[in-house]
Amino acid sequence: MIAFRDIFITGLLLGGIFALVSVGLTLQYGVARVLNVAHGEFIMVGAFMTFWLLGSANLNPLLSVAITGPVAFIMGFILHKTLFRRLMDTSPSLDIFEGKSLLASFGLLYVVQNLARIIWGSDVEGYNFLNSTVTAAQIPLNRLVALAFVVVLGGAFYFFLARTRLGKAIRASAQSPTTAELMGVDIRNVLAICFGLGLGLAAIAGSLLSTLFAIQTSIGLGYTVIAMVVVVMGGLGSITGAMIGGIILGLVSSTVTFFHPSLTMIAYYVIFIVLLLARPKGIMGK
Amino acid sequence: MLEINGLSASYGNVQVLWDVCLRVDEGEFVALVGANGAGKTTLLNAVSGVMKPGSGSVTFMGHRIDGSAPNAIVNLGLSHIPESRQVFTEMSVRENLEMGAYPSRAWKSRRETMKKVFGLFPRLEERAGQLARSLSGGEQQMLALGRGLMSLPKMCMIDEPSNGLAPLIVTEIFEILKSLHKEGITILLVEQNVRQTLAIADRAYVLENGHNALDGACCDLAESEHVRKAYLGH
Repeated sequence: MIAFRDIFITGLLLGGIFALVSVGLTLQYGVARVLNVAHGEFIMVGAFMTFWLLGSANLNPLLSVAITGPVAFIMGFILHKTLFRRLMDTSPSLDIFEGKSLLASFGLLYVVQNLARIIWGSDVEGYNFLNSTVTAAQIPLNRLVALAFVVVLGGAFYFFLARTRLGKAIRASAQSPTTAELMGVDIRNVLAICFGLGLGLAAIAGSLLSTLFAIQTSIGLGYTVIAMVVVVMGGLGSITGAMIGGIILGLVSSTVTFFHPSLTMIAYYVIFIVLLLARPKGIMGK
Repeated sequence: MLEINGLSASYGNVQVLWDVCLRVDEGEFVALVGANGAGKTTLLNAVSGVMKPGSGSVTFMGHRIDGSAPNAIVNLGLSHIPESRQVFTEMSVRENLEMGAYPSRAWKSRRETMKKVFGLFPRLEERAGQLARSLSGGEQQMLALGRGLMSLPKMCMIDEPSNGLAPLIVTEIFEILKSLHKEGITILLVEQNVRQTLAIADRAYVLENGHNALDGACCDLAESEHVRKAYLGH
């Protein structure tokens, strides 16, 4: 019973983090049309920034998201305004832009990963954070706190997309960029904001992951793959789909890891294939 | 109010518009008619900034707008209601209308404007919470018109509102256009339904293969030999 409870809590937490990462990728691919294979690198950057802020300024890892998120947002905004905007302006069609931006993001992956390796090295790093257990339940406190954090953040982001003027502009741009422009939306800014928000969510997820697991400068690509699986599973471009897909994959991950850790990656792909056979366009796809 | 001079536009290597000229004065109801592929939609896209014109000039209320971004143009008070409605299908009717009020000057008064739009289209108010996807074609066209009005435009460019709608609904939509015009909105209407269009507009331009073919008062055009043979079928 206790094992099931732990599997469930860990699964929800991982799922919530996967959901943040995948919503980030959905904003980049579904709205800004950049299939960003460097997405996971910013998870790594967020994790190492948190690790570094704890070591140098003794900043609480949970509070550090107030720095890692905005810093990654600004990096994404600038990257889109410079690199991807230029590619967009020189591409005759969106399909050609998608190809070009995929290549550019591969380049970004190597640059970011190797810069991180120069700064932080390639060793496994880690720290202890709230490692005590909640006595009655024997659940590590850091997991509960991180879970609450993910739920609040996910809720706040959902509210932002559903209710605010900018959030609505983002959803409208995801459906039809040209029509959104006719409504008066400055599409250039909205796309850069979406790309920045994507990286910001990745970095925040990285900060939270560093409170739970050991980190290394090479962890990025694994998370990029998970995010891509979730985005396709949820239905390309669907933010709700990415959230649901992330939580499903998190629960699968914690269950399989409990019984046989080396089968986790295989389980991801089995679930992925089964879901796509049942719903070829994804959970929320149309 | 709107003045288009010597406008040319191309998609890649294919030129669609050659030296097109068109003028709409304040308070007028002007129609732009022509066959499928004559370049009518391209002309609207070039004016609203969706595509960059190759050469020529577009002036709206004294501002040069050729080459400006669409959001800057709608901010000046020129609303483009696009072909085949293009409502945001995954958003509610209310959210679609809110998106229409996106320019800052319109956003503040969006609630009052929405009330006026609901007055014009009571059906939209009944369906305010529904996803736009669930509306019928006619209702989606009303939503597209209402959304275009939410930006508090001085002039509307409306692209083929009758497209794909049943004749009864087309008549209803045309009645609405008439009443919008009476309320003081300048209208440039693009249509293939030439007969009904010439009946409600003041003046019309005929576009053929991307060139200006004819223009004049609607009553004169409806009598012209060429228009009768090519567009009215008698």
